[in-house]
Amino acid sequence: MGLRFTFQNKRISGVLTVLPKREVAFEEEMGNYNFSAAKSMKLKLAMGYNKHRIVDEGTNVSDMCVHGIEHLLNEGLLRKEDISALVLVTQSPEHFMPPTSNIIHGKLGLNTNILCMDINQGCAGFVIGLLQSYMLLEQPSIKKVLLMNADVLSRKVSKRDRNSNPLIGDAACITVVERSVDACVINAIANMDGRGAYALQIPAGGFKMPSTPATAEMKEDESGNFRSLDNLVMKGDEVFNFVQTEIPPMIEELLKISGKAANDIDYYLFHQPNKFMLNKLADKMGIPREKMPSNIVENFGNASGASIPTNISFNLGDNALANIYNVCLSGFGLGLTWTAVEQQLGNLSFNKIVYY
Amino acid sequence: MEKFLEQMAEILEEDTVSPADVLMDFEAWDSLTRLSIIAFASETCGVTISAAELKNAETIEALYKLIEGKK
Repeated sequence: MGLRFTFQNKRISGVLTVLPKREVAFEEEMGNYNFSAAKSMKLKLAMGYNKHRIVDEGTNVSDMCVHGIEHLLNEGLLRKEDISALVLVTQSPEHFMPPTSNIIHGKLGLNTNILCMDINQGCAGFVIGLLQSYMLLEQPSIKKVLLMNADVLSRKVSKRDRNSNPLIGDAACITVVERSVDACVINAIANMDGRGAYALQIPAGGFKMPSTPATAEMKEDESGNFRSLDNLVMKGDEVFNFVQTEIPPMIEELLKISGKAANDIDYYLFHQPNKFMLNKLADKMGIPREKMPSNIVENFGNASGASIPTNISFNLGDNALANIYNVCLSGFGLGLTWTAVEQQLGNLSFNKIVYY
Repeated sequence: MEKFLEQMAEILEEDTVSPADVLMDFEAWDSLTRLSIIAFASETCGVTISAAELKNAETIEALYKLIEGKK
């Protein structure tokens, strides 16, 4: 049984996804991998890779977040004085200090009666950030929380690593979370297991192992991938087995708490590590694949915590403006962390994609 | 075992495979094939095998015993 959360009178009122303008096709990078062209094409087909969006060198999380928030302010979709908190979930902070959310605050010139916080979370970052936002909204002084899920991890992935490079994506998503007059209940579950903390990691660059010329040295692993200690590394088999083992029972538990049947849920909007893993998960849970969209990685790449809001913007789009859906959102990965929330999603003021 | 051999032949892209065949010797033996076997074990047999366990299984027969032993 997981750690349970319940909230009332709270809602997501808008989702804006900011994607890099630069799009790279799988074929353009195939030559970097220590794999024959035929095998690379087999990899592409099996895992569902196609193209991904990655930032130009030098683009940071605050650039994309500020671009998105300014868009909302300029379009009249958000007012500065309504923002009570900036919650940024990222693995790509600009510095160890100060927090990147404070940098964003400064660039936007917001009021000082505000809370800025950075949360270090990955693939589960949307649900973790949402729980934090709902908790903040329990305070009467908090009007709107701007939840930002932003990462530019492509800059930490080796171009010669076919485990991670074809699927990595960059994105910044801005989700407005606020109180609602509607009393509908939100149920959520969170689980963590730090014994699996190193299943996904960037070994060097922190206080424990500062980056040096030695940590930047590219080395070949047993599968023929080249990466350095400064690069992101993932134990694919551990992550796969973890997802298949832990996610189905967690969703079952959540639906039981919510008093809902699996087919009462209109959409299962899950984090998307890659199409292969998500389809296997849908099959194992007995959920029709059309209820669990798996097309984010093939179109944009996996941008960690941004993948669920990107999924909302891309797959629900304008339909989420006029309609209300019962959704189950689930994020899982780094930490190891596995989380899920069951709630209504709809009547949004905006839900779209812009480019930076 | 018969059915298992057929399924392995499909994953390994061979017409047929034998229990004594060494996994590493297959043309198709790469990280993607290994993931396919882990996924096959999870999906078809309902068991979890790790990349390290798979590495210790030298032959088709050893792989069969690894999966059967976990059922």
